[in-house]
Amino acid sequence: MKKALSLLIALVMLFSLGITANAAERKELNIFMWSDYISDDLIADFEDQFDVRVNLSYMNDNADSITKLTAGAGSEYDLIMTCDAYMESLINGGYLEELDLSQIPNSANINKAYWSEQNQGYCVPYLMNYIYVVYDTERCPIEITCYNDLIRPEMKGQIGSVDGARNLFPIALIALGYDPNSRDENEIKEAYEWLVKYNENVVAYGSTETNIVSGAISCMFTYDGNTAEAMAQLGENNTLVVAPFTSDPVQLGFDLYVIPKGAQHMDLAYQFLNYICDPEVMAANLVDNPYSCPNDAAVAAASEEYRNGPAFDFDYKTNIFFQEDVGDAITIYDQYYQMLKVG
Amino acid sequence: MNQMTKKKPLSRLPMIAQAGPVSLWMILFVTIPMLFIIFISFMTRGTFGGVEYTPTLTSYQTLADVIYLNVILKSLRVAVVTTVVCLLLGYPFAYYIARKPADVASRLIMLLMIPLWTNSLMRLNAWMLLFQTNGPVNKALLAFGLVDKPVMFLYTDGLVLLGLITNFLPFAVLPMYSSIEKLQDAMLEASADLGAKPSTTFLRVTLPLTFPGIFSAIILTFIPALGTYTITDMLGGGKVLYIGNIIKNQFGTIRNWPLGAALSVLLLLITALLIFLYSRFASIEDMEVM
Amino acid sequence: MQQSRNRKVLREKRGRFLGSFYAAIIYAMFYIPVLVMIQFSFNDAKRNYSWEGFTTAWYGKLFSFRNHDLWEALVYSIIIAVLATIISVVIGVLGGIGLKKFQFRGKKFINLMLYVPIVVPEIVLAVSMLIIFMTIGIKLGMGTIVIGHCTFCIPYAVVTIKGRISGDNDTLQEASMDLGANRVQTFWRVTIPSIMPGIMSAAFLSFTLSIDDVIMSNMLASARQSTLPVLILSVNRTGITPDINALTTLMVLVMVFGMLIMNFIQRRIAAKEAREIAESEKRISAMSEHG
Repeated sequence: MKKALSLLIALVMLFSLGITANAAERKELNIFMWSDYISDDLIADFEDQFDVRVNLSYMNDNADSITKLTAGAGSEYDLIMTCDAYMESLINGGYLEELDLSQIPNSANINKAYWSEQNQGYCVPYLMNYIYVVYDTERCPIEITCYNDLIRPEMKGQIGSVDGARNLFPIALIALGYDPNSRDENEIKEAYEWLVKYNENVVAYGSTETNIVSGAISCMFTYDGNTAEAMAQLGENNTLVVAPFTSDPVQLGFDLYVIPKGAQHMDLAYQFLNYICDPEVMAANLVDNPYSCPNDAAVAAASEEYRNGPAFDFDYKTNIFFQEDVGDAITIYDQYYQMLKVG
Repeated sequence: MNQMTKKKPLSRLPMIAQAGPVSLWMILFVTIPMLFIIFISFMTRGTFGGVEYTPTLTSYQTLADVIYLNVILKSLRVAVVTTVVCLLLGYPFAYYIARKPADVASRLIMLLMIPLWTNSLMRLNAWMLLFQTNGPVNKALLAFGLVDKPVMFLYTDGLVLLGLITNFLPFAVLPMYSSIEKLQDAMLEASADLGAKPSTTFLRVTLPLTFPGIFSAIILTFIPALGTYTITDMLGGGKVLYIGNIIKNQFGTIRNWPLGAALSVLLLLITALLIFLYSRFASIEDMEVM
Repeated sequence: MQQSRNRKVLREKRGRFLGSFYAAIIYAMFYIPVLVMIQFSFNDAKRNYSWEGFTTAWYGKLFSFRNHDLWEALVYSIIIAVLATIISVVIGVLGGIGLKKFQFRGKKFINLMLYVPIVVPEIVLAVSMLIIFMTIGIKLGMGTIVIGHCTFCIPYAVVTIKGRISGDNDTLQEASMDLGANRVQTFWRVTIPSIMPGIMSAAFLSFTLSIDDVIMSNMLASARQSTLPVLILSVNRTGITPDINALTTLMVLVMVFGMLIMNFIQRRIAAKEAREIAESEKRISAMSEHG
């Protein structure tokens, strides 16, 4: 028994040594991001071209990167993915390195409409996603043209939805005619009352694409990327359409790269950012990751198939709002979000 | 005098060797982090995340809100239901395994654990694939004409319970198995020889003797079930928040660490209280598990 | 008399059948999702939303080793789980015995501390550990993940072991010491075998908890490497891809195979020990005859 045990330990030690030794050969770039969100080829080509090893590690939740940064573990990484909603706090909290855009000449390809001046000094947008309404023309009881349609009684048991206070409250605020990033408690309270009705119609939060493909729901409030997956899965039988909204704006969120304070390999991080902003590189990346992209040159260079994808087939692409950092008001949102879900 | 000082370290050695590592580990990696959490719970929320080190009772005042009472009651309900079902299902199962010869039993236990080595998310996902609207179960029901349109199994309480049971049952079975296994046949036979009916033997001999295992099982299912949220989120459709969700959110998107810390302290106090009450009123011998 | 014995045999038979039937149902509850999971590793679709047809392409992709992320994550997870299990079981066995046997100041406190990692949502301990590690400058990596895992595995191990120990162990130990065995011998030869099922349970629990952990692994990981569950949860954002099912299937097969080998070794050792015991018994009886 003891012998078997010591043999086992020795084996394990050998294994772990092998892994670390393997990793220590080349310069390294450490990136923390979503998995399955960047093409393997892009990473492999970058590694070859610049003779570096890229270590990708993955988050499960947008909150993960925030928690890592605020807990002081940012310097473990050279690039961290986060989204626009947290930028103000991250900048003001001093968790990020300021960017020198002259080191990222390709960033000129990025549409400035999607890249606020204040954010330009600290982040580079990667991909973006609309959070909009999609429904099944055959199964959904009504045609949906605005957020208020979602709380109609006919929609009971029909809706799948993304979750999170800061995704749900904006649509309620818009439906009520308020600022989607309101910090006014009375408005948030009214939005909460709207969401109570919405909540009654919702079957489940999360897994929207699985549920709509399997037929558990007929309408979803979700990301464009998930919609693209669902439509691709349905293939020829696709009866899903992006809801033809008439006046309500939709949320556009960004996944962006920031360099955390104290990053060890700033130069490599710059090289990488410049690399992914190259139109050809990004266009190739869009084949595997058919999401909306703020890089206009890349979209122009991308395949016909990508540009005509049914998930992006809607004509209110510019009628959008952004999720802003609401500062301390986040706790008010949280309080009402809890009330919504605890009842 | 001299002799005593000489003897003392010797007799303490086994104690230090046995209780030492666990004590040290708990102090280093549990007590210190928890002291830090308690400390944070009395601080101010940092606007940009993290904590500002200005003392305040805000977090605890927030806890007075009736909403948290509701959350705790809901979480308690889930934990109680899960524990009761796991004990009822698990005890006979553990008994069945424990009565087998040792080598068979160890293989049966292994058979129970192997499924758990696949990822829990993958298993939950499998349940959903099985029960989804166009899944095999619905297809079979339709094919046999038992229903005329697909049944909505997803996001029902039944499925949530199934998920909870398949996740927690092994944690109830293992400790019960190891204490039932210890029962000596001789005792049960003695009881039977003395004319006790099987039910009497079970109630008066088997159950009390295996109580330490049952108690371990309760600890290992009830307490983690109290803070659980992944299963209820996935199989329940995320429509209800439990205390685990709320704490997670405070450390995540809401960036209200002090409130999250205060909620954790509350959770600890509830557990401590439950254990205390249990030890007060359960006057069963061999409660030394604690 | 004959009749009543017959009835008894019959009843026992029926009882055994019912028992096996019941156990089969419980096992089915655990194996059905695994079978479904294996089935979907052959799914001819980009993501597992529903069954689309049979293919072995995902295994092909896996064995082309193009996506070594998955493989690296798997190996990393297994190493961590093995280390965490060994450490937790050693500390848990010693601790379970020590906390049961000895009275010392602060024992109640340690007992209470053992419940903390079980009850507090993992994220709380994970974040506070992360902050503490960063403050004192411990580099994140496999070591920190193992520490994190052990912290919640040890309580499970201790509770399981304690559930196994009771008064009669003391008598056995005293008997052993009276017969001239020293403490260490008694520990290895008497105490450990008598709580072996508890140790086994503790090891299973620790391994299971560690191999499936997401939160600690995510928070305490270095930038270099994620564990498999972290990767899976991350992919779940847009739907599980069948190659992950394929990898999980392989992982189960490998572990089952590993268990069979362990089982084989264990039986060899047990047989050897049985021989030794038989020999020593012979010697003892020879000695007592001589005396």
